Amino acid sequence: MITVESVTKTYGSLVAVDDVSFKIAAGEIVGFVGPNGAGKSTMLKMLSTYLYPSSGTIAVAGFDAVTESLEVRRRIGYLAGDTPLYQDMRVDEFLRFIGRARGLRGADLDRAFDQTVDLCGVGVVLAMRIDQCSTGFRQRVGLASALIHDPPILLLDEPTHGFDPLQVIAFRELLQKLRPGRAILFSTHITADVEAISDRVLIIHLGRLLGDGRVDELATAAGLPGDSLEATFAHLVRASASPSLDRSHA
Amino acid sequence: MPEPKTPKVQRSDSSTGRPAVVAGFASGIWVVVKREMGAYFDSPIAYIYASVFLVLSSTTFMNSFFLDSIVDMSAYFDLLPFLLIPFVPAMTMRTWAEEHAQHTFELLMTLPLRSLQVVLGKYAAALLFYLLILAGTTPIVIMLVWLGSPDLGLIFSSYLGALFLGAFFLSFGLFLSGLTHNQIVAFVLATLMGFAFVVSGHEKVVAVLDGLSPGWQLGTWLFESLSVMPHYESFTRGVLGLGSALYFLLMIGFFVWMNEVTLRRNRF
Repeated sequence: MITVESVTKTYGSLVAVDDVSFKIAAGEIVGFVGPNGAGKSTMLKMLSTYLYPSSGTIAVAGFDAVTESLEVRRRIGYLAGDTPLYQDMRVDEFLRFIGRARGLRGADLDRAFDQTVDLCGVGVVLAMRIDQCSTGFRQRVGLASALIHDPPILLLDEPTHGFDPLQVIAFRELLQKLRPGRAILFSTHITADVEAISDRVLIIHLGRLLGDGRVDELATAAGLPGDSLEATFAHLVRASASPSLDRSHA
Repeated sequence: MPEPKTPKVQRSDSSTGRPAVVAGFASGIWVVVKREMGAYFDSPIAYIYASVFLVLSSTTFMNSFFLDSIVDMSAYFDLLPFLLIPFVPAMTMRTWAEEHAQHTFELLMTLPLRSLQVVLGKYAAALLFYLLILAGTTPIVIMLVWLGSPDLGLIFSSYLGALFLGAFFLSFGLFLSGLTHNQIVAFVLATLMGFAFVVSGHEKVVAVLDGLSPGWQLGTWLFESLSVMPHYESFTRGVLGLGSALYFLLMIGFFVWMNEVTLRRNRF
């Protein structure tokens, strides 16, 4: 469903993503882990077609993310970091706006709206303006907006940000429910989320992919068999850290 | 939620008929128009803009109307370009800057809409809002008809000129708003551009510029090729010239297209 080949993204002399390749199949939940500024959000922005790669290729559902970006956008559900929402809209207005922008009309829109509201548990805030919702509810509304068109591919940037522990559990259950037939990639700082629900982990640091595999495979490869993802992650990041944080090609 | 289905939106390939593609394109624009109109009227901004514009334009007109005692709207339409210089940028400055401030630009640009649909949607909403405000001046026409026999053809032609003028100001206001994340910068740039397009049509400015560049006749060149005033004034004189309409349509098309190019460049 997702194929990333030798993708690099530069901003001037800064290399945000450096020669990254990976694949995600339908039915897989993949966690994307890395420290702040590692390149997770940039990678997700490229998968969502918000940004184009400087080099390399990205195919999503068989469509090229640059030359067929519209087709890609039709097939993804994307929750960007910071959960961008129109704060002046009511929750129901916002979700219907997203549904219409995604081509849903009439009974299809009503059905998708009801189903997504139930799934994400935002029924109690439907009549509220988004800027009056709590952080947790805003996050759920963002998630609902990514799901309303029933996309085969889900890209979620820090989806549990602002969730309380119960909401985190509910989110994990939701992803399991959504798993059949979908490719799901989510970024997070919370390694426990990844261990709990991911089939596979991508570890990124300074724009480079340090690991791609199951948690136990990565731990064994790092010489830490049986250790937690947190320990493996810390080991890989420290081992790869260059003497300076300079990521320029200059 | 069951397994995902094939997207309900049609692919825009050769298997899709042209009418369906056009309808889909227009439908995408309409989604953005509705969102933008909601944003205008859900906040006090729209009501404040409309009130300030109508009070300012009407009171200034009424003053000259009572002094000159002539039953026409020439004074109103002579004043309009100068009112639009700050008014339209005040409307358009938030259009893109607000999307960046709320981080919703990313949301908008990852929806399955073409950049042109988003730009046209925002432009059409701003134009509709402007039309509504312009429609708020119709009591003046009713008053003139009640008081005497104004030249209704001239008034119609002048309103058409006002429509083109506002549409033109909106096009570059939106474009300049797309160049910056700062609303104040967008306002200042659009005001300066509007000022340049208007004053380059003033005879004294033309004379001064010609005097400064006797060889090039800069003032005359600007007046004839770029200034909005000769084209606007042809409508307010009652001349529905094809050349003037073309000038407006080409300028509007150029700035809308530039706005769309700016959006596409953001992806790189």
